[in-house]
Amino acid sequence: MSAAATLPVVGALNSTERNVLIGLAVFFGLLFVSMLAGVIQPRYLFFLLSLAGMYVLLTMGLNVQWGYAGLINFSVAAFWGIGAYCAALVTASNSPLGLELHPVFGLVAAVVVSALVAVLIGIPTLRLREDYLAIATLGLAEVVRLLILNEEQWTNGSAGVSGIPRLFEGLPFDSVIRNFYVVLGLIVVVYLFLRRVHQSPWGRVLRTIRADEDLAEALGKDTYAFKMQAFVLGSVIMAAAGVFYVHLNLYLGPDDLEPIQTFYVWIAVILGGTGSNRGAMIGGLTVVAILEGTRFLNTAVIPAGVDVAPLRLLFVGLLIILVIRYREEGLLPPQHELVAGGVADEKGGGPDE
Amino acid sequence: MSERLEMQIDGADLDKDDPVLEVSGLKKSFGGLVATDDASLQVERATITGMIGPNGAGKSTLFNLISGFYEADEGSVTVNGTEVTGKEPHEIAREGLVRTFQTPRKLEGMTVREAMMVGPQHQTGESVLPLWLSPSSVAEEERRNLERAEELLELFEIDHLATEMATEVSGGQLKLIEMARAILSEPDVLLLDEPVAGVNPTLAKNLAGFIRELNEERDLTFLIIEHDMGFIMELADPIIVLDQGRVLMEADPETVRNDQRVIDAYLGGAE
Repeated sequence: MSAAATLPVVGALNSTERNVLIGLAVFFGLLFVSMLAGVIQPRYLFFLLSLAGMYVLLTMGLNVQWGYAGLINFSVAAFWGIGAYCAALVTASNSPLGLELHPVFGLVAAVVVSALVAVLIGIPTLRLREDYLAIATLGLAEVVRLLILNEEQWTNGSAGVSGIPRLFEGLPFDSVIRNFYVVLGLIVVVYLFLRRVHQSPWGRVLRTIRADEDLAEALGKDTYAFKMQAFVLGSVIMAAAGVFYVHLNLYLGPDDLEPIQTFYVWIAVILGGTGSNRGAMIGGLTVVAILEGTRFLNTAVIPAGVDVAPLRLLFVGLLIILVIRYREEGLLPPQHELVAGGVADEKGGGPDE
Repeated sequence: MSERLEMQIDGADLDKDDPVLEVSGLKKSFGGLVATDDASLQVERATITGMIGPNGAGKSTLFNLISGFYEADEGSVTVNGTEVTGKEPHEIAREGLVRTFQTPRKLEGMTVREAMMVGPQHQTGESVLPLWLSPSSVAEEERRNLERAEELLELFEIDHLATEMATEVSGGQLKLIEMARAILSEPDVLLLDEPVAGVNPTLAKNLAGFIRELNEERDLTFLIIEHDMGFIMELADPIIVLDQGRVLMEADPETVRNDQRVIDAYLGGAE
């Protein structure tokens, strides 16, 4: 994702940032060469990059919840699915709702419904210890998936929803290029928004809550309200990723909401660096690179007759072990000094990791 | 001390003679164990009040009850004339009662200076909307708070730690940071839970000096639990003695020191 490569480059780079940047350059260089060599079709490459962009959005969403506030959300797939189904059902031609509205309405519906569900789940659980949210969201993920699977009159059930319109139909670019720019734009907007709130006193309170909720309470911070805000914000970002996905993939079925999707996003957050917006981008990209890249190993590198694609989970697991062993804080951990408006920087700043 | 740091007592119309903290008939049991039994006490404004008692006397439980971390079975707590019984800890903090913890809390991933900045209450930038609608006022407030944080770090003689990670300073320094941060939240009454436990004697002496200074110059009220008798007897007046969840007596240090009931309580022979 070129956004990941260019956005965070502000001021001098430390060695971690340099390494990540070099890694990204090599990665995109390889992709470019593979495209020229015909290993990967340009259209498919852009599709994959858009898919990676969607994972980046999901990862940034979960990072708000887990990375900022320490909220354990095991229903990433559900919030993503709520967003995706809202968009699909409101806009698709074969939707049982028969609305066929403009994608903007799909986005609005996704934001409203996901926020509402987040609040409803948050009310009983966010006042309790963090494990209760984990359990409740684990349940929610299954409830949402089973509801979608079984409420055929609303969702088409296992047949799924197709006939979903593409985004920005009128524009003269190819649809894969359009999708790529849309997700790039979304990432830029979400990243800039999150960077601001994370560095702000709001983000500081969330980080305090993550470290020690009692301390935040003792200092007069309404931790329940802060946690609720982080939970809703993260869930809405996940839903937006879902909206983008249906207009990219043009088909959506209940299988897309399998719990494994949630854990891919968790892996991305941990790989990238918990609490780091930039790390979330790198993490999302890395997970997609492994999941999708293993397909190409078959055709490009590995001799015929050996299929490595089924081993993709093994690769993900291996990478996690390596990262946790050698880079405990993830590939690109959060900056260590986050004071709003760059006040600290003016005064000399701290270690800017 | 700069004017910026000067404290204002919230609600200047309050009668200065009213106690800043009033506890009456507090009860709390855990299963069959009565941890706090009909505890009543008053903390007068601008005093340094000590709270002592043998292990298990219910000092920390009482702190947790007063600050809202435990819910009392019976009784009431009043801060600045406002009844706060049953309120959430953050609501009680907003009424002007702020506490520290026996084990200093570490803020992972934050520098000392940043950890200090969590202290001030009602920060504009703690709501998401003003970040976008009035970024300049948020930045201005941040600058002000940062300045105050740095002044306090200087006062506590730990300004050299400002850019250290909050997880990497010593336990004693952490206690100082915790107290400095609590002061940034501008409380009327500050509850310190064993401020010098695990702190070296020199630092403890400094701490006593800071507490006295803050008390004299800003009329800040302290309620301090402490096991170090030398420290608390020299610093606090009056002293409240707890035993078996009850207030055994309240008096000046000299009286407390010579009271047979206190000696018995500490020797475990209260019966």
